[in-house]
Amino acid sequence: MGKLSSASSSLRKLKKSPLSSFVKPPSSSSSPSQSQRSKSLSPQSSEQRFISAKCNVRSSNKTQFGKHVSSPSTTSLPHPSVTSIPVDIFETSDLEDAKKSFDLLLSKFPDSSRLDYNSILHSFCNVGGDTPTAHRDAVAFLRHMSIHSKSFTPDRSSYHILLVHACLQPDLAAAYQVLDLMSRADFSPTQASVDIVVRSLCTADRVDDACEIVKLFAANHNSPPDQYTYNFLIKCLCKIRTLDTVYGYIQELETNAGIEPNIMTYTILIDSVCRNKNLREASRLLTVLKDRGFQPDCYLYNTILKGYCAMNHCNDIMNVYNEMKSEGIEPDLVTYNTLVFGLAKCRRIDQAMKFLKIMTESGHSPDTVTYTSLMNGMCRNGDALCALELLEVMEENGCEPNECTYSTLVMGLCKGKHLEKGMELLKMMTGAGIKLETSAYATLVRTLVREEKIAEAYGVFDYAIESKSLPDELAFVHLETSLKWLEKWKN
Amino acid sequence: MVFVRKMVGESPKKLSSLIDIANIPSSTLRDFLGKSQISCLGCFISVWGYIKTNNLQDPRNKNVVNCDDKLKSILLGKSQVQLAELPRLIKLHFPKKPKLRN
Repeated sequence: MGKLSSASSSLRKLKKSPLSSFVKPPSSSSSPSQSQRSKSLSPQSSEQRFISAKCNVRSSNKTQFGKHVSSPSTTSLPHPSVTSIPVDIFETSDLEDAKKSFDLLLSKFPDSSRLDYNSILHSFCNVGGDTPTAHRDAVAFLRHMSIHSKSFTPDRSSYHILLVHACLQPDLAAAYQVLDLMSRADFSPTQASVDIVVRSLCTADRVDDACEIVKLFAANHNSPPDQYTYNFLIKCLCKIRTLDTVYGYIQELETNAGIEPNIMTYTILIDSVCRNKNLREASRLLTVLKDRGFQPDCYLYNTILKGYCAMNHCNDIMNVYNEMKSEGIEPDLVTYNTLVFGLAKCRRIDQAMKFLKIMTESGHSPDTVTYTSLMNGMCRNGDALCALELLEVMEENGCEPNECTYSTLVMGLCKGKHLEKGMELLKMMTGAGIKLETSAYATLVRTLVREEKIAEAYGVFDYAIESKSLPDELAFVHLETSLKWLEKWKN
Repeated sequence: MVFVRKMVGESPKKLSSLIDIANIPSSTLRDFLGKSQISCLGCFISVWGYIKTNNLQDPRNKNVVNCDDKLKSILLGKSQVQLAELPRLIKLHFPKKPKLRN
């Protein structure tokens, strides 16, 4: 759900202003991702691309690639036009060199209005990284560009580029400076700016700084975060801070800036408390949000169901389901899958089968996840052969089994003393190149060693390494532990 | 009652003793691998690979390895080795690091 919200947020941002997509925060903390660069092309005209391509070629002829410049990733992009961004104009982060390169570029292109200044700025920021002077240099470079080129005045996205770059700096002073610059240039920060800053800081694991700056935005610039930014921030905060801190922050934002949590926020909170197995708090939150006049939706109930399933509270699972029904909320595929998973995990296969029927009747065809959950339950019950039969049913119904399905089956067969069948299944997996999951691998090796089929265990080890199912060392540790056990047992 | 078993390989110290690249102390092993540095894991994989490529497993009982002269030199001079004891024998070449006292 969280992913959904962030995706929809970025989509929304894209619609709002195409340029802001250019400065979406990097997915990794190091350097802005390729997708971002390719996105950044979209607003440009084809002429601009052409020019960018030309200066790219020119610069790569002239200079060796600097160590900061990620040339291979640029060339591996699928569209030839995408490679044309001049990411490698600058080989050093030195300001004077950059100014010289820029002047040279200007002199080569008389029609300076067709240059893509923001890309140039972006590439200079990339080269600079987070060296101490990088931010000051970037600001100075922007000033240099705007002075020396008549056709360029910094627009909102130029400042956003600077802002993302400033968020890479160790303290927030740089970000404040850029915000100051923006206000002076009559681009007062918008919700897009807040979003950019929050996402940059959170991906760099600086959630506390992000919280600070959101408060500042709300207080000084009169641009409180929109609900997507807000929920993203709360989600990040939930991961690293205690519940009390999160509640305190929500309260603070509500009283100071009037930002109220919405149904999505509550879903995030409930998900977070369920992960910490604090189901009482989840129930409390449910009543709180009802008191606030929110109508719990399907996603919310799915989250709670998931929490109960993780705790193996199968009576509560049914209670939640009945409550959901009585509220008149139509369960979706995820609800049913969670239900089947939870019930099968509690070894209530009959009930799970009943839900399989109910879900088909209500128009949700069971998928791989449903069947795998059922198989998991059967294997836990020690009924691995039944699970094997289910595999056939599943394939008849047009569901493609995945590696999780096979691993569950292999594990169940090994534990249920049907080693030969397990080995047959493994042979099939080897043929199809399906990876083994760690638990399945460990069980298989342990069972093989216990039966003193050591050569076969080595074979499984080989397959695990060849198919890269799990890290080599982990595969070895499992094998070694089993063998050690055998030696101990023999003596 | 629920038993929570700790995942095998969760201990970072044990893992690092496996994958850290070490100088090989014994000259015979160095000759065998043709390298001077290797991790314990890498050594195991290459010895097992050697057994497979040279078909040294006993055809009657695959769990037993009939060592050739080269292999004998690194596995304590045994002419026959159980596959089960292979990891232990390899580990002998990589002595545990003495514990650092604080």
